Formats: sequence, C-alpha cells, structure tokens
Amino acid sequence: MKTSVSLFVLLSICLVLGSCSDSGSGQDPSDTFNQGEMLENMADNLIVPGFQSLETQVGLLDQSLDAFVQSPSTNTLDAAQSQWESAFMTWQSANSYNFGPGDRSLGTLEVLLGTFPVNTANIEANITDPSFDLNSSFALDIRGFLAIEYLLFGTSDDAAVVTQFTNSAARGTYLQTLSENLVSTVQDVNTEWATFSSSFVSQTGTDVGSSTTILFNNFASGFESLKNFKVGLPAGKRPGQTQAEPEQVEALYSAKSLEAIEAHLNTIENIWRGRSSSGQDGLGFVEYLNSVEGGPALVSATEAQLTAARAALSAVPDLSLSQNISQNITAVETLHTELQKLTRFFKSDMASLLGLSITFNSGDGD
Amino acid sequence: MLPNPASQMPIQSWKSYFEEPVSIAGLVTFRILFGLTMVFSTLRFMALGWIENQYTQPIVHFSYYGFDWVKPLQVEGMYLVFGLMALASLLIILGAYYRLASSVFFILFTYVELLDKTYYLNHYYFVSLVSFMLVWVPAHRAYSWDVWRQPKLQLSHIPRWMLGVFRLQLAIVYIYAGMAKISYDWLVLALPLKIWLPAKANLPWIGFIFRYKMTSYLFSWGGMLYDLFIPFLLLYRPTRVWAYLAVIGFHTMTGLLFQIGVFPLVMIMLSLVFFPTKLHQQVLDYVGKGLRAEPSTPRPRRSFSNRMLPGFFLVFIFIQLLFPWRYVLYPGNFFWTEEAYRFSWRVMLMEKAGTATFYVKDTCTGREGVVVNSEFLNAHQEKQMAMQPDMILQFAHFLGEHYAQQGLCAPEVRAEVYVTLNGRPSELLIDPRVNLTQKSHGWAHKDWILPHSQLPSFF
Repeated sequence: MKTSVSLFVLLSICLVLGSCSDSGSGQDPSDTFNQGEMLENMADNLIVPGFQSLETQVGLLDQSLDAFVQSPSTNTLDAAQSQWESAFMTWQSANSYNFGPGDRSLGTLEVLLGTFPVNTANIEANITDPSFDLNSSFALDIRGFLAIEYLLFGTSDDAAVVTQFTNSAARGTYLQTLSENLVSTVQDVNTEWATFSSSFVSQTGTDVGSSTTILFNNFASGFESLKNFKVGLPAGKRPGQTQAEPEQVEALYSAKSLEAIEAHLNTIENIWRGRSSSGQDGLGFVEYLNSVEGGPALVSATEAQLTAARAALSAVPDLSLSQNISQNITAVETLHTELQKLTRFFKSDMASLLGLSITFNSGDGD
Repeated sequence: MLPNPASQMPIQSWKSYFEEPVSIAGLVTFRILFGLTMVFSTLRFMALGWIENQYTQPIVHFSYYGFDWVKPLQVEGMYLVFGLMALASLLIILGAYYRLASSVFFILFTYVELLDKTYYLNHYYFVSLVSFMLVWVPAHRAYSWDVWRQPKLQLSHIPRWMLGVFRLQLAIVYIYAGMAKISYDWLVLALPLKIWLPAKANLPWIGFIFRYKMTSYLFSWGGMLYDLFIPFLLLYRPTRVWAYLAVIGFHTMTGLLFQIGVFPLVMIMLSLVFFPTKLHQQVLDYVGKGLRAEPSTPRPRRSFSNRMLPGFFLVFIFIQLLFPWRYVLYPGNFFWTEEAYRFSWRVMLMEKAGTATFYVKDTCTGREGVVVNSEFLNAHQEKQMAMQPDMILQFAHFLGEHYAQQGLCAPEVRAEVYVTLNGRPSELLIDPRVNLTQKSHGWAHKDWILPHSQLPSFF
C-alpha cells in the first residue's frame, strides 16, 4: 500500500536524523540509570539511618531532661542543653522526609518537631494550666524541639533557668511531656519506616504518586523552607515587613541558628548527591540528572551555585544569626540571594528534565 | 477523498451534494457517545475532589482576558453546577428535553472552563465547541425520549453537511495538532519525547523501549504523521477500519503514558462519527430492538431542513480554521512567549517549566520583599503561572492589590522568571526590572518578554 511505503520512507528519514544527532554519545545514556537503586540508596543510607540516629538522640535528650528536672542545677542544665543541641542538629538531617510515615495525622514531622517561632505566652500559660493535655492539643507552636529550647535556654542566664525549674514542678512536668511527645513521635516514624521502606523502593516511575516525585517535592520544599523561613523571614525579606526581625530566627534562644542552617543545607546537598551523613556517596539526583537529556548542563550549573551558596554561608561572620541580622545584614542578604539563585535549579529545572509530574490534574504537557 | 466524485461539480451540484439527505443515525450515536463520555468525565472530576482543589479553595483565579466577571460559586454551588452538567449529559444520551439539556451543558461546561486558565486543556476546549455545535442540530429527533413523547418530531434523515461539520471539527483538531508538530524540536531533536519517554522506562512490559532514543524519534514522527493523516484515512473507506484501530492504539498508548485524563476516551468515542451512517443505523436498530424502544413499522422518510443553519456553521468552521493562525501576528518564538498559544490545538508539544520569584516594593520606604507564591496559589497554578507571561502579569496585579491592602505604599511588583524549554538551560522569560503593575492585560504583544538566546525568534 502506498501509505505504508511513504510511512516507511518517512520513518527511515527520521531514523537517520536520529542517529545523526546521537553521534558522539553512541550509547543511550538513560540505559545506565536504575531508579530503583537510587530509591534504595535514599531509603537505606539516608532516610532510615537519619531517623534511627534521631531516635537515639531524642532518647538521650529525654534522659538528660529527666536528670535535669529531677535535680535542677547548672550541671544538669549544661548536659541537657548540649544534648538538645546534638539532637537538634540530628533533626536537621531528617527534616526533609515529610511523606509516608513522616506525614502524621496532626501535621508533618517538620511542623510537629520544628515549628518556630514558638508561642512563649501560650507555653507559659499551658505550664500553669493543670488541665492542659498536649496529646489533645492541636497547637503546633507550643511543642517540638524549639519549645524545649525555649524552656532550656529561655533566659540568658543559666542560673535563672535552674531557679525557674526549682520553683515550679509544673515547668519540669511540661518539659518532660514535650520530650515524651518528641520521643514517641520519632519512634512511631521509625517503626513505620521499617515496613514502609520496601513500598517506597518499589514505587518507581515519574508519576505524581511515585517515590521519586514525592522525594523530589520534599527535597524542593525543604530547600524552600530553609531559604524562606530560616533566612528570609528574620532578614526581613517578606513583602510587608518594615524591618529585619532577628527574633524570628530558628533556634533563637540557644543562638544555634547558623549551625542549624548549615546542617539543613548539608541535608539538601546529601539528598541531591545521594550521600549518607557519614559521607558515603551513592546514587542520587546528580547521577539521575546526568543520565537524561540536558542533565549534565544542569548538574554543573547547580554545583556552581551550590558552591556560591556555601561560600555565602561561610562568609556570614562568626556571631549568632540574630546578631548578624542586627549588625551585618548584608552578609545575611547575600546568603539569601545566593540561595534564591539555587531555587530554579532545584525546583523547576530538575523536575522538568526528569519528567516528574508535580500535580494530580491532567495536563496537555504545555 | 470523499466517497463521491464531487471534484468537478458546479456549485449547484456541490450544494446538492452537501444537502443530500443521509440517515440521522450517525448524528444520534454521536449524541449518545458524547453524552456517555461527558457523564463519565463530570463524575470523575467530582470524585477526584477537583472542584475544591481547582475552584473553591484557591485564593486567586486566572481568568481569561475579558472574562474576569466569570467567578466560581461557593462549594455547594459548584457541586450543583457539576451535578446539573452530569444530569444534562444524561438527558443528552436519552435525547430528553434535548435543546435545553444541550444548551445547559454547553453553558455550564464553558462557564467552568472560563473560571481559571490554569486548567486549560485543548480537549476541554474541544468539548465546549462540540457541545455548542450539538445545541443547533436535531440530534434528538430519532431514538430519543423527545420523539417517544412527541412522535411527530421524528426525523429519518439529515443533510449530509450536518455530519460533515462534526467530522470536520475532529479533522481540524487532528490536522492542526499535526501541523504544530512540524517543528525543529519535535522532528529533528525528538523533544520533548526524548525527555518524557525515558521517564517512563519503568513501565512494565513496554518500558524498556523508552530507554532508546530511537523510540523517541519513532514516536515523534509517528505522532506527527498520525495527526496529519488520520482524518483522511478515516474518511477513505478502504483504510477506515485500520485507521480506527490506529485511533484506539494511539490514544490508548498516550493515555497510558501521560497524564491526559479523558482526552483519549473522547477521541476514541467521537472518531466513530467517521464510520458510514448505515453502520450507525444498524447498531441503533440492533440496540433499539433489544430495548424495544422503536416501533417496528417502517419509519416515514422525513428530512431536516433549515435555511439559516448551513450559513451559521459555515461561519463557525471558517472561524475555527482561522483562529489558530493568529500566532503569526505576534513577534518571537511562540513556544517561548506563548502568545496565541491556547485554542490552537497545540497538544503535548513541549516540556516547559519555570520558577517565578516576585519582588514587591513599598515605594515610600523602598523596602523590597520576596513573595512565597505557594501562600496564594495551589501547585498547579504556580506551575502554570511560572512559565506563561499572561498569568505572570495577572499574579503580579493580584500581588500589587493584595499588598496595597496590607498597607504597602503604591507597591511595585517585578518578577524574576527562569524558564526551561525542552531541557535547555533555564533563562529569563521576562524583563526582571519591569514594574508589572504598570503593564496592562490584553491581546497586544507583551514587549517585556525577553527573547530566548537559542530558539529562533520567528516561527
């Protein structure tokens, strides 16, 4: 038939064109990337170990808080404070997995454990309210790591904190309740990941419910919350803010904001590379991108900007973030700008090249 | 390729050819299939929770230019709209209160589509057009509730052109979609399929073929040829059955590969209009006998005639043929600018995504803040907005008004928008220095769109 002959001719032309444009690369690059292996690496070497160390750390925190509440002294407070810091930095390496077990009934792990700034007036009110029950409360800004931080670091003078706890048993009880809530939440997540892991690894593909898409969304939104809320908000970068608001930083009372930002950025970079927190590098988005059309160019552009963002972070002087915002706002603004430049690589470019579907709705592909 | 030697006829014979009575059956099955598809589509939309997602929860709605008076109702109201749409589709199937039902369906469906261009889909536009066409034709005057109630309404024949306009409308969709694929990216680079197909390499059974670049080329060229020629192959008797099998195969494949909703179903169903009316008559008679719906006495031969209708449809089709070409009036590469991109059957043509960062400045204090888009837009809106200049402008105007209400003094809004097209490194789409609150909506060319560094500036 005439149509099949002309079809054959046209197809031959396109095959010739196809092989011409391939010249040089030879092999089909997408042949080499195994998405399932990437997911396995993410689950086994990043996510699960991240939650396991977090469980260990909040367990240790719980013990040191108990010791402090039972015998408040500057010694027990110091121990509790340093354990809080250690657990809080570990939390930063587990804060970007708010799906599956990380998506709890009351909210995501990110808001349950990491909401800031906390509402200190409500915390004080809850302490003195004998009928208050944390488990039946929906409030987020009275719980989590940063509520514990407020109780441990709330006044600049450690001796004053000790006095607060010596004078009020209710304060100790509230602290212990917060800690128990933290421990049980992390334990639950950990337990659920033991079974969730295999379904996570098996949900390959690029559809909206696939693990790669879900992980990407969490990665991108984790990065955005770092930029928008941990840096932008206290630096006064939101429209309508009339000035910088240094009291809006994460970890205000312990003055560990910059360390937390660095730990958070490490997590983002680790997911990007598929690298465990101990530095073991496996399959990640870098390798995935390097296997697709246009990917290598995006990887090198992203790496260059990641380096610039890291340089901007190290250029922030060695004071707390809130002090820097008050005294060296330019350095913080530069950090914000460099993070902003990274956004398009992590957000739209990556999803586009990998062909990830972000929304459930049907589309024309336009 | 029409099965009639009409090529050398004088005008009068052309006229009589198109007015020659043919069985009404083809139109009746078209009505029924359209109604069935729409019942399914409407119920699916409700069941997926898209009414809340798309129309009642969002704070911002990206209305079409000139249609900003079209607003969503409260959630109960929107459910009522969709409920009525489902009911109207059901009545269209039955041919009951047909004029009213088809008018109601057209108006409600189009109303919903006009609410927010975020959700624009070519096949929704197609459904709007087809439902509009159905309002004017006597598709209910056989095998219908209306005829059962009022037997004198019954028609056995309609003029040939009346089926022709539906075939032509389908052909326009295919052929224009095919012409749109004749581009450098699509044919020479096999883009965006070279991005989309490898992403599907994990599919069972057939996934492995998407690992090969060759597959992307085959699909690009095959898709272009399919779109361009399928209407003719469907019209031509010797190829018709094979062509229809190709319709089923093609749309099933794209339906499995891409998130395109009911589009494959719509095309598979409605392409049956290319089959001869005799076949439709046989099917209807068979089904009718089973249902005992039709009298067994032979139907009287009564044909439809209306002097105004042919002219009306001639104008309609003329507009349909012309409208997609309006992109030639705009400078720049339309894949990049998307000026005159919609309503032109450009289906699944490019992989495009952007990140739009909006800066709002208080002109009294000079303080400039960065907007978090997701505080105002859902994920779908943000995604669509971030690559389409008209939506960027709409969102900028919204932000200007919003922050003026928040007490900012004469806010200026500018946007830094980086867009990647078919895997190319992302570039600035619009001039990031321009105060968008000073730019107006409309059909005029947006001179604040920046040219792409690699794409040709014409098309």
